[in-house]
Amino acid sequence: MDTLNELMGGFAAAMTWQNLLFAFLGCLLGTIIGVLPGIGPVAGVALLIPLTLNLDATGAIIMLCAIFYGTAYGGTITSVLLNTPGEAASAITTIDGYAMTKIGKAGAALTIAAVGSFVGGTVATIGLVAAAKPLGELGLLVGPPEFFALMVVGISLLVALAGKSMVKAVISGALGLLIAMVGIDPVAGAPRFTFGMDRLLDGVSFVAVIVGVFGLSELLSYRKDTATPIVHAPNLRSLLPTRGEWRRSAPAMARGTGIGFGLGLIPGMTGSVSSLLAYGAEKKFSRHRNELGKGAIEGVAGPETANNSHANAALIPLFTLGIPASPTIAVLMGAFLQQGLTPGPTLFTEHSEIAWAIIASLFIGNLLLLLLNVPLVGLWTSILRVPSSILTALILLFMVIGAYTINFSVFDVFVMIGFGLLGLALRHLDIPLAPMVLTLVLGPLMERSLRESLEISQGDFSIFTSRPISAVLIGLGLLIVFSPLLKLRKPKALNEDPET
Amino acid sequence: MTTKSVAIAPKSTVRVAPSVLAGIGAFAAVGAYVLVASIDLGLWTSLGPGAGLFPFAMGAVLVAMSVVWLIQELRKPSQTAEGVDRGLVLAVVLSLVVLAAVLDLIGFQLGMFLFLMYHLKLRGRRGWPSSLITALAGSVGAFYAFNYGLNVSLPVSAFPLLNTIGL
Repeated sequence: MDTLNELMGGFAAAMTWQNLLFAFLGCLLGTIIGVLPGIGPVAGVALLIPLTLNLDATGAIIMLCAIFYGTAYGGTITSVLLNTPGEAASAITTIDGYAMTKIGKAGAALTIAAVGSFVGGTVATIGLVAAAKPLGELGLLVGPPEFFALMVVGISLLVALAGKSMVKAVISGALGLLIAMVGIDPVAGAPRFTFGMDRLLDGVSFVAVIVGVFGLSELLSYRKDTATPIVHAPNLRSLLPTRGEWRRSAPAMARGTGIGFGLGLIPGMTGSVSSLLAYGAEKKFSRHRNELGKGAIEGVAGPETANNSHANAALIPLFTLGIPASPTIAVLMGAFLQQGLTPGPTLFTEHSEIAWAIIASLFIGNLLLLLLNVPLVGLWTSILRVPSSILTALILLFMVIGAYTINFSVFDVFVMIGFGLLGLALRHLDIPLAPMVLTLVLGPLMERSLRESLEISQGDFSIFTSRPISAVLIGLGLLIVFSPLLKLRKPKALNEDPET
Repeated sequence: MTTKSVAIAPKSTVRVAPSVLAGIGAFAAVGAYVLVASIDLGLWTSLGPGAGLFPFAMGAVLVAMSVVWLIQELRKPSQTAEGVDRGLVLAVVLSLVVLAAVLDLIGFQLGMFLFLMYHLKLRGRRGWPSSLITALAGSVGAFYAFNYGLNVSLPVSAFPLLNTIGL
């Protein structure tokens, strides 16, 4: 009851016209980022943080959350119409989605994908409402050693899932942690790795690093052969699925919701894992499994529901424990910190009204996306017809503004350029970028919890193994890291996942 | 003796790519630097872990992983990704550096206008109307949208002459 009252209070706060406008703008921008193949959700969210700098915390986070799950909707559109996923979590949708386009059923595929996304997102948000209080209370009981162990598990999972080589993933993670170390040491107050530059005393600007490593380096690695694609928006009448298609989609959506929700809760899992497994589930359990690959609606409904359910469920560990489950969420967490909000159990005690307003806005945003997505499909496809030279110029414009406005200093623009080149080098060496983002955000928190733990135990490292929860978590982390030796293999398709 | 010589793979004809070697070397060097620097920061104090402990561990990880990677490469060289479009990288990076260098001097509007015109007209070979409209919207338009719409101020020129005409 208590929770319900607070949620109602959240709705009241989220329904102001300003906050509705922010949610609407976020959905719009998120969909555009999702549609544009060149720019992924990580760089997209980071790039748009400056837009929210001078907004109040509630409005800023509402907008960024909307951008975040808006990308999951938008990524579908190009998967279905063009056979190129706008973002990784929609890659699997291309198989049946594009097959449906070829047989003239693009409209139905897009509608089912949008409805599935709405169902998955809404159910996961209900899960967030239900889990917020109990998990948050549990989180308050967690001490520094458990917190440290939990982050170890999250990072190990991401390292294990990232790229083709674990060695490279660990290098990426270590680099992120080192970049996070630059600046005044939070405990002793001594400057670290600042090379005598006063600018670096506050650390390297997180937004500049992310925009450089993810955004600029992506743009720098473009090839010439990217011609402007020819796309045709489906006409409005064809958007309505038949009754049979609805009936076939419902069980797929239910499975997708469950899969996405479960995996979304696990730190280190990305949306692509969920959509892949959801497709696998359809292959196994669907009554029309033999039609998969030839334009079966289940192949769209399952994965698309799963990735949105995942995106929203992944907010649960962030809100309740302060642990970002994926790189995009890590960027979102950076935005929380920028606004002076610390995600985690204390969020509900210290900023309860903001937290609930954001959760309420998730429901509103999912509804907005459902309303925006399908009828405006013509608009989204027209974005794809913008010539690449104009898009490149505009993306560069946003990168410069994004990096500059964080501290209103040109220094950060140079930081962005430098990290863009670093990102390009890492891409060339086939080093995954995701572990770096995660450790960049988690680095300071990890270090603090490690040092607090060791202060509690007076320097005895056995504190991590003598406390039951942290012992189990550390064991789990080790198991994950050594899983290649135990022949636990990840799906091959994940090698191509840019988010991991 | 014989088993050992059998175990050694025949000399591979594929060599480790120079860029990969440079990368491994760079990571190892950064790791080694961090190791040394963090000892100076202090690994342990009377109060517990010092400022250098965590970086020290990361430096060690970096060095260790570089070594493992080198061994992996020597055994089986990996295929490097396709080369980049050097012209594009050079054009984008240099134009960004120039823009960043002059941003505070000539202001956001003029600097961004020239930057966008370079990318649209010179590099993108777009027509005058579309280049001008996009560049004006991205410079003057963005300036006013951010200043008055979002309360985020973008830099104006440091030159009084440019400043007085609103740039």
